Amino acid sequence: MLTFENFSLKVNDKELFNNLNLKINDGEIHVLMGQNGVGKSSIAKALMGDSNYQVEGKIIYNNEDITNLSIYERSKRGIYLLNQSPMQIEGVTNAEMLRAALSSDTKTPLNILKFNKELESICESLELDKSFIHREINVGCSGGERKKIELMHMWMLKPSLIILDEIDSGLDVDAIKIVSNSLKKYYETYKPIMLIITHSATLINNFDNYFVHLLNNKKIVKSGDKTLAKEILSKGFKELSNTFAISENLENE
Amino acid sequence: MNKLLVSDIIDLNNDICVLECQSDKLKIKSNGNCTIYLINQNINNLDILVNDNSSIKVYMINKNVNNNILINIIEGNNTNVDFRYTYINYNDYMCTINNEINGDDNHSNINIRNISKNGLSKSIINVYIKNKTKNNIGLEDLKGINDGGFVHIEPNIICLSNEVEANHLTTIGSIDKDSLNYLLSKGIDEENAKELLLKGFVYSNMDDYIKSMEVI
Repeated sequence: MLTFENFSLKVNDKELFNNLNLKINDGEIHVLMGQNGVGKSSIAKALMGDSNYQVEGKIIYNNEDITNLSIYERSKRGIYLLNQSPMQIEGVTNAEMLRAALSSDTKTPLNILKFNKELESICESLELDKSFIHREINVGCSGGERKKIELMHMWMLKPSLIILDEIDSGLDVDAIKIVSNSLKKYYETYKPIMLIITHSATLINNFDNYFVHLLNNKKIVKSGDKTLAKEILSKGFKELSNTFAISENLENE
Repeated sequence: MNKLLVSDIIDLNNDICVLECQSDKLKIKSNGNCTIYLINQNINNLDILVNDNSSIKVYMINKNVNNNILINIIEGNNTNVDFRYTYINYNDYMCTINNEINGDDNHSNINIRNISKNGLSKSIINVYIKNKTKNNIGLEDLKGINDGGFVHIEPNIICLSNEVEANHLTTIGSIDKDSLNYLLSKGIDEENAKELLLKGFVYSNMDDYIKSMEVI
């Protein structure tokens, strides 16, 4: 279970969220939606432990307070961020990086044969050329290839909490289909918590059930099920945010 | 791969080889298309003369440089030089490269990667493009990482001709924080993540042969 308790977030002394509360049970998919600049990606980075963000309140994951844990400590607890523009790392291949990650907490040497077979099979399912395994991480890759490479890492590292930050941006229809199917298959296999940040319906329509939260004015202004996503996408963020803000004011009065 | 034991002078003709030096001075005369590898060789003075209508690729890597080095690369007409040098210093170190382009239609690329673990590493890279020459290209791609020590790089391109394309890219910094965070987020601890990034930097201008040798 992932819980944000009285969660406030600042970057460079600018307040992005104030006293936000959210509970996500194991195996649930939650979608964060909101206008550009509302701070969705900042939540993703703060959850991953980016030290550029100042967090107040608590982030509890699997009954442990992870608010002050480092990026590495969080990743070792199964938290994985897949963002819209993955880094490129010159001189380090995908295989080298994955070998280092998988062998870092085990004293037994990695079974290279099994490792290679698993990677090749993942590449096949992602329609990614096997040569990418031994290529430098995301170097010279298109947007679509980068997202698939990040998914390849995800399948190998098997995280239990996945944050998807606008992973569907800049993908063509075929690539979105492959990415969506891969995420759905991962979800059905491992039942992780998924926190999805998106502006479009293409990615989330692939999942049967999910919760939606509309962010505006430093807080969650409305939560609901998949019908809320449809409403947001048909009416737009601005109109709905204003509607919910007005109804909240009336309730307060 | 051919390994050649050389005293202080060698004539190359369409050769691809690893050079093992017996002296701290080496003079290479290159003809045709040549590729040479200098791996952990302690040389103080390296002269490379590229004959007309010839090209040479030099991959030079040193995991612990001890002595200062002076490198002279001399080109005439219609040559192509791709000079790549990666080095790590644990003490004060000075590397001077003089690339003289004396004729027409030459292409020169000087590519440096330096990690300074301790002390000051000073690299001065001079590309001289002589007067009354034409159609020459001179490029410098120079990068350094301060990893305990300090890197100082002076990129100089001296063009005495108008018909030239010259460019330099020089970057000095520490390990990139975003790259480090990326690897940490994949579950690699800080020590191993830094090691991976430094190794990646070291090999980023080398070819597959050097990478397979695991020099560093």
